[in-house]
Amino acid sequence: MSYAYLFKYIIIGDTGVGKSCLLLQFTDKRFQPVHDLTIGVEFGARMITIDSKQIKLQIWDTAGQEAFRSITRSYYRGAAGALLVYDITRRETFNHLTTWLDDARQHSNSNMVIMLIGNKSDLESRREVKKEEGEAFAREHGLVFMETSAKTAANVEEAFINTAKEIYEKIQEGVFDINNEANGIKIGPQHSPTNPSLPGATGSSGSQGGGCC
Amino acid sequence: MAFLEVVEKISFFDLKTNIDNGNIADLFKEDCKINVTSSGNNHLVLGDSSGQVHLVTRSWSVHSFRAYELCTDHLYQLKNSSLLVTIGQDEPGVNPLIKIWDTNRLDKNGTPHCFRVTRALPGNRPVQVSALCVHENLQLMALGFVDGSLMLYRGDITRERSSKQKLLRDASSTVTGLAFKSTSSNIYLFLATDSSVLVYNITHKDKEERIHLDNIGCAKRCCVLAESIQESHFMVGRNDAVYCYTTDGRGPCYAIDGEKVMLEWFRSYLIIISKTNRPTAVNSVSNGNQSSGLQGDSITVLDIHNKFIVFSATMSRIKAVLNEFGSFYLIDEENRVYHLDEKDLQSKLSLLFKKNLYDIAIRIAKSQQYDTEGLVDIFKQYGDHLCNKGDYTGAIEQYIKTIGKLEPSYVIRKFLDSQHIEKLTMYLQALHKERQATEDHTTLLLNCYTKLSNTLGQNEGLKEFILSKDSDLSYDVDVAIKVCRQGSPSEALMLAKRHEKHDWYIKLLIEDHQKYCEVLEYISSLNFENAETYMRKYGNILIEKVPNESTQFLKKLCTNYKPRDSMIISENALTGNYDLPHHAEPEDFIHLFLNNSERLVEFLEHVIEEGSILTTPVYNTLLEHYLHVWTNSQNDRTKWSQKILKLLQNPDIKYDKAQALVVCHMHSFGEGILYLYEEQKLYQQILRHHITKNDMNSILACCRRFGNQEPNLWVQALWSCVRDTPNPPQALLNEILTVIAKERLLSPQLVIDALGSENTDITVGHIKSYIMNELEQEQGKTAEITGLIQNYRKDTDKLKKQLETLKSGAIVIQGSRCAACHHPLELPTIHFLCQHSYHQHCFQSFCDEDQGCPACQPENKNLLELLKAREHNRDLNETFHSQLEKAHDGYSVAAEYFGRGVFNSYKDITNKAVKKLIEKKDEEEISRTLIPKVEKELRDYGYGAEARLRQSEKKPSQIIPPISEGKLRQQETSRYGSSLKSNTNFDKKKDVYTSNIPGTLNPFESDYDPSNNPFENEQEESEDDTNPFRDNYECDKNLNPFS
Repeated sequence: MSYAYLFKYIIIGDTGVGKSCLLLQFTDKRFQPVHDLTIGVEFGARMITIDSKQIKLQIWDTAGQEAFRSITRSYYRGAAGALLVYDITRRETFNHLTTWLDDARQHSNSNMVIMLIGNKSDLESRREVKKEEGEAFAREHGLVFMETSAKTAANVEEAFINTAKEIYEKIQEGVFDINNEANGIKIGPQHSPTNPSLPGATGSSGSQGGGCC
Repeated sequence: MAFLEVVEKISFFDLKTNIDNGNIADLFKEDCKINVTSSGNNHLVLGDSSGQVHLVTRSWSVHSFRAYELCTDHLYQLKNSSLLVTIGQDEPGVNPLIKIWDTNRLDKNGTPHCFRVTRALPGNRPVQVSALCVHENLQLMALGFVDGSLMLYRGDITRERSSKQKLLRDASSTVTGLAFKSTSSNIYLFLATDSSVLVYNITHKDKEERIHLDNIGCAKRCCVLAESIQESHFMVGRNDAVYCYTTDGRGPCYAIDGEKVMLEWFRSYLIIISKTNRPTAVNSVSNGNQSSGLQGDSITVLDIHNKFIVFSATMSRIKAVLNEFGSFYLIDEENRVYHLDEKDLQSKLSLLFKKNLYDIAIRIAKSQQYDTEGLVDIFKQYGDHLCNKGDYTGAIEQYIKTIGKLEPSYVIRKFLDSQHIEKLTMYLQALHKERQATEDHTTLLLNCYTKLSNTLGQNEGLKEFILSKDSDLSYDVDVAIKVCRQGSPSEALMLAKRHEKHDWYIKLLIEDHQKYCEVLEYISSLNFENAETYMRKYGNILIEKVPNESTQFLKKLCTNYKPRDSMIISENALTGNYDLPHHAEPEDFIHLFLNNSERLVEFLEHVIEEGSILTTPVYNTLLEHYLHVWTNSQNDRTKWSQKILKLLQNPDIKYDKAQALVVCHMHSFGEGILYLYEEQKLYQQILRHHITKNDMNSILACCRRFGNQEPNLWVQALWSCVRDTPNPPQALLNEILTVIAKERLLSPQLVIDALGSENTDITVGHIKSYIMNELEQEQGKTAEITGLIQNYRKDTDKLKKQLETLKSGAIVIQGSRCAACHHPLELPTIHFLCQHSYHQHCFQSFCDEDQGCPACQPENKNLLELLKAREHNRDLNETFHSQLEKAHDGYSVAAEYFGRGVFNSYKDITNKAVKKLIEKKDEEEISRTLIPKVEKELRDYGYGAEARLRQSEKKPSQIIPPISEGKLRQQETSRYGSSLKSNTNFDKKKDVYTSNIPGTLNPFESDYDPSNNPFENEQEESEDDTNPFRDNYECDKNLNPFS
């Protein structure tokens, strides 16, 4: 399938916060109550449309366990967006957010869009982390915040798509160097410039594209 | 980690040792060792360090040939072609040579045909080749070099000339792996080096695109292209994990620890050979002489798709992994060949079952496209297992997956315990969703719901179930209603309404809720057909319970029914079609009102008012019930009676009159009875009715009214007066008698008899005037009749005299002029007794019939016709009887008919008359020239005989009917006096007949025996010339005696 842009995402967060389930809900629209531990990095892709442009999202779903931290670190690089997930029913996952954020900031390119996600919003009765806390954390660190439920699919689409929108806006603003694939953005085959030496600003993004050169 | 946990438990592969009987090991006894391996095209290909290449077949026979002088460094056997690409050294130094062989074409030395030999040098530098890859389409070949260069050969690889080589990369780190990947539109070349992973899009020549995938590389032989059904990944094994790459970039990664030695792909399995620090495990299947001190390799087989390890073992160092013959083989350091034989699915599954790893089994079965029955069996086993473990919720989840295949009763039985009711409910719900539920299941489910709501207060389940759409659940609504009815009537009601089970709904409302008005409401919202049907069915009880509303509804139903909720203007009307109003037949509902006449009357009145035409029985019923109401009502009887009369008088209402009469009688509704009598012209009955009522005035009125139609009424009245009333009023009696007298309804004698016969107080004084009148009349009549008799006598005398004259006197014919031409008579002449004379020629021309006097003919004809007409009047008996009946005075009629001779036997008379006539004919024959004589003789018979003669002439075979003189006279009273004249006319006519045409028109021909026929001879004689009649006939004047 042809696409205008390919965005690479990474999903990070403590083990068991529902990263794989978020991915599964987003790509397959289903929920698996029992999910095997992610070993290494899993992978999913889906097409979305933003601004009437087809955008392919390539999502790496990382293992949350400490043992795989070194593997997942290598995936930060080359991701345009990150979903930092915590579990609203487990405070320690919220407490670890700083570690994750530091890790991400350290290993990724500085422009990476990070979205903070408080998952398992369906389990309101077992909530340990208030929404306000999440919002406060996001504000403090300049993140976008959202509470989702992979089980009920609430806000799942929005989380991924809003991230994509943010990335897209950054591209429009010329923040991203879209020719550097290390940024996690790739221009679709039909959009790639015939002459690779020219900057990749094509089509509608042409006007703003000048900014990045 | 998770991968490893499973390792100890299951093994999908059987490790078999020494399958080649040491054949391979024998090849490398000396210091030469296996340098490189490849497989494909039903061969394992081994290249050794001495330059030899060995082709091993499946039966482990080996064919070897020398490919290089020194050593073989690389081999690539194409999978589906006999081509073999080798790279090796013929000379010492760095001088790699590519040789391409066809292993199917062996020369006499057993060496395969070699297509080409090319030096493999990137940019003319002598560099060792480190990787070789050939595309299966034989058009592409890639070589990686130790210095990081990459050479791509395009074009037919078997031909040196057509093959173009291109140096794609000139870099530092050693190429460690190469792989071609073809998609439908593109061809990619994956490249792994020590320090990076790259992919080239080599679809278009000279437009190769390089995509950098990763900055970390891998060791030699630690990369493989994993081609599975879902997606192809280029897998690179590193110490911490196996990383996958797509043509776009990085893909997933599998964290598997260990220093990777080799990666291989077999079907959907990833085979990882890695170094292990643990001593080689004493493997029961491996050779016992293995030195346990050596560092071993661990072999791990991963099912990538299902993400678990399917085989794991540790053994001595692995030299090669070969994938051929549908299975894979390992060759270890000591050139021992191991075969890893994949178990079949069944044994894999049973293995998993034994370990209770059902979820894995299900995953595997699904990924292997296991048939549904098998899957269901797994689900069932899993369910059973969970059940035994006590995880009933989990078990039910599994059982739900078996719906459609597994007999539900199996599951239901397990969960019948009331503890498990929630699970059972879940299962049954699923069963319904899958449309597999039977009636029993529905019943059970609903019972479960009821129980749940009773014990746990969970009422939502049932409601949800009921409210679910048809498409979601399928169940027998009837059964559901039945079940719900027992447990929760309101739900049953809801269910019925939802599924439009009108019958049930109404039934429930009536029987369980006794909400009759709601029923009516409901029915009125249905369409016409349904409304009618249900009203018929339940009307009885509705009328009984809510008579008023029901009646109102029925009124609507039978006149112009429209469902309550329907639009005021139907769609039909909008589109211009005429919307036929529905209305039910009222008679269908009449029986509902059996005990409620007033309602029925109300109902029917309304229906009639609405102008619908009903059948007779309906009207009858209405009448009946009107009367019923009338009888029962105390206050407004008149109102009702008026209504009844109106009904009776309404010409549009077609009630059965006879029945109406009966009903009126039953209820003794006098007005109705009278009306009906009158209607049917049963005046006598009316009279009788009045008589029984003893209402003299009414009797009189009735007689006056109907007397002219039915005169007998008066007689009846008289009789009733006489018989029933001891003292009839004078006025009444007088009137009756007057009318009787006037109309001659009864002979005075009878009247007097009647008056006298009974024990009444009628005195002569009462009837004096009547008797007086009668007597006067009687006298007047007698006088009249006497006068008449005298007249007749006179006539008779006159006739007698005339007869006498004709008999005895002579008639003088004195006519001197022809009656036709009025000229003086000349011979020959014809004379008639009527005093008319003619010239013969005049007569012949003037008279068309040759009969009778032409002048008198019209008159005679009239007479004849009259006679004839009388003759036709044969039904004399009937006339007589009818006249007898009609006449006031029957005796006079009888007398008149007697006088006409109706009662005589006429046959004899006729016969006699005919005989006489015959005799006279004979005489006539003799004296035929003497006309007067004949005339005289004929005259004796009178005109009656003449008439009979005429009649017999026309219809000789018929019996002549009696014609009495009296009758004749009666019918011709106006011509009474002219009988004499007519008689003479007859005679004259007869004269002509007899004298002129006696032979040809024999009137008695059929009556007479020919032998006796007096004219028989005459006919013979007619041949004779002397016969005067012959001439006469031919009108010969000379021989005519009259001429």
